[in-house]
Amino acid sequence: MDRNNPGRGDPMTADRRRRLWAVVVDAARGGAVAVDHVCAAAVSVAGVDSGAVAVILDATPRELVCATDRTALELEDLTLTLGEGPCVDATTGGPVLVGDLTVPECRNRWPVFAPAAVLAGTGAVFALPLRVGGIRLGVLDLYRACAGDLGAEQLADALVLADTACAVLLDDATRHGADRDDQWPERTGLHHPEVHQATGMITVQLGVSAAVALIRLRAYAYAQDRRLRDVAADVVARRLRLGPAGTADDRHG
Amino acid sequence: MAETPLADVFVEMADTLIDDFDVIEFLHVLTERCVELLGVSAAGLLLTDQRDTLQVVAASSERTRLLELFQLQTDQGPCLDCFHTGQPVSVADLTLTTARWPRFTAAAAEVGFAAVHALPMRLRSEVIGALNLFDVQPGAIDGDKLRIGQALADVATIGLLQHRAIHQRDILTEQLQTALNSRVLIEQAKGILAERLQVDVGQAFAILRDGARSRNRRLSELSQAIVDGSEQFASVPVTNRPG
Repeated sequence: MDRNNPGRGDPMTADRRRRLWAVVVDAARGGAVAVDHVCAAAVSVAGVDSGAVAVILDATPRELVCATDRTALELEDLTLTLGEGPCVDATTGGPVLVGDLTVPECRNRWPVFAPAAVLAGTGAVFALPLRVGGIRLGVLDLYRACAGDLGAEQLADALVLADTACAVLLDDATRHGADRDDQWPERTGLHHPEVHQATGMITVQLGVSAAVALIRLRAYAYAQDRRLRDVAADVVARRLRLGPAGTADDRHG
Repeated sequence: MAETPLADVFVEMADTLIDDFDVIEFLHVLTERCVELLGVSAAGLLLTDQRDTLQVVAASSERTRLLELFQLQTDQGPCLDCFHTGQPVSVADLTLTTARWPRFTAAAAEVGFAAVHALPMRLRSEVIGALNLFDVQPGAIDGDKLRIGQALADVATIGLLQHRAIHQRDILTEQLQTALNSRVLIEQAKGILAERLQVDVGQAFAILRDGARSRNRRLSELSQAIVDGSEQFASVPVTNRPG
C-alpha cells in the first residue's frame, strides 16, 4: 500500500528499513509486534549481548518494559537504584555510546555506576534515547560484555530500530502484526517537518500533551488509511481539525 | 540587501562559538549570512541522520515551499550527490539537468530557481552534511565565492561539533542526533505557536526566534519549555517580520 510503500525515498534507507523490519517481525514469531521484539532485533543487529527498554512516564521516573536477559535486568536495576549512568543521561540528552566502561572518563562521569557495571560483567553500553522532539518516551539500552565501539553499520541499524521502538510505543498495540509485514510503522524522525508542526497544533486544539497529540495524529492517519505526512499537511493548512476522540472534524478553508 | 563584510561575519561566528550557544540558531544565522555574503537567493543546511538519509536543519528562510525544496534533496538532487561524493556539486543552469534529477528540477523551477550549488560539510574522512545554495539567476558561482562558501560550510561543521575534540564517533553521534532532535522540537513548538497565535508556521518560527532572543534563552530550550507547557508564551510581543 502506498502509505507504507518501502520503495519510496532513498533506496539505501528503504533497504535498511526493509531488512530491519523483517528481523523485528521474525522476533515477533507470528504475533503482534511489541517493543520487546524491537529490542531483541536491536540486540541481534548491533552485535551486542543484551538489551532493555525503559519508558519514562509522567508519574514515575523510569519503568522497565522489557529486558532480553538477566544481565540487562541487573544493569537496569543498577541504573534505577543509583540514578546515574549512560542510560540516565540518554533519557534527557542525546545518545550515549560507551565502547569501554573502564576508561577514566567513565569513572569520572559515573563514579558509582561504571565500576558496578564492570563488576557485573559489562564492558560496553550504548544508550539510545527514544524521543521525538520534546516528547520523551524512554531509552533503548544495549549491553555487551566485551569492550569495543559499534561499527557505523551497527550504529545506523540501532538508530533505525530506536525510531521503530518509538513508533511501536506510540501506536496501537495490535497494529503492527507479523501477518501484515508490509505495514512497517511510519518513521518518527525529521523527514516530514509538517508531522511535528501538526503535533504542536493538535496539542493546543485538544488541550493535550504533545505525546497524546502525536498518538492521535498517527491513529487518525492509520484509521483513514492515509499517509501520516498528508494528514499532517492538512492539519497545518487548517483543512483538517481532529475532534476530541481522534475523529475528524473536517473543515475546509 | 544589506552588505555584510566578510570579516564581520567571521567575527560574529567566532564570538558565538566561544560562548554558550544554540546549535540550530547558530546554523540558521549562518545560512542567512551565506545569502548576504555570496549574493545567492537562499541557503540551507542538511545533515546526515546516520541512517542513510539527509535532514534539513536550517535554512535562510522558513518559507514552506523553500523548505520542501531542501527536503526533496534528501531523495535526489545536487545536495545528495555532494553528500555521497564529498565533492562540491555546482549546477549553473538547472534547465539542463531535468533528466538527472526530474523531480528536484521541476520543484526548483516552480519556486523560481535557476542555479544550485552544494558544498560538503566534511570532518576528516567523513562527510556529515552539505550546504545548499540556490540562485534565481542562472550562472556559475565564481571561485572566490565558492571558497567563502566552503569556509562557511566548515564553520558550520565546527559549530555543530561545538569545539569539542571529536576523535570518537560517539561524540559526533551525540551532537548530530541532538541537533536533529532539536529541529523536531522546534517544529513542534512552531505548531503550538501557530495554533495559539493563529499565524502560519513560517511566522511562528520568526516569533519563536525573536522570543528566544528577547528572553535571552536558547531556541531549543525555549521550544522544549513551550512543548512541555512550562512556558505559555502568551504575552508575546508580536513583531511583523515576514515569515
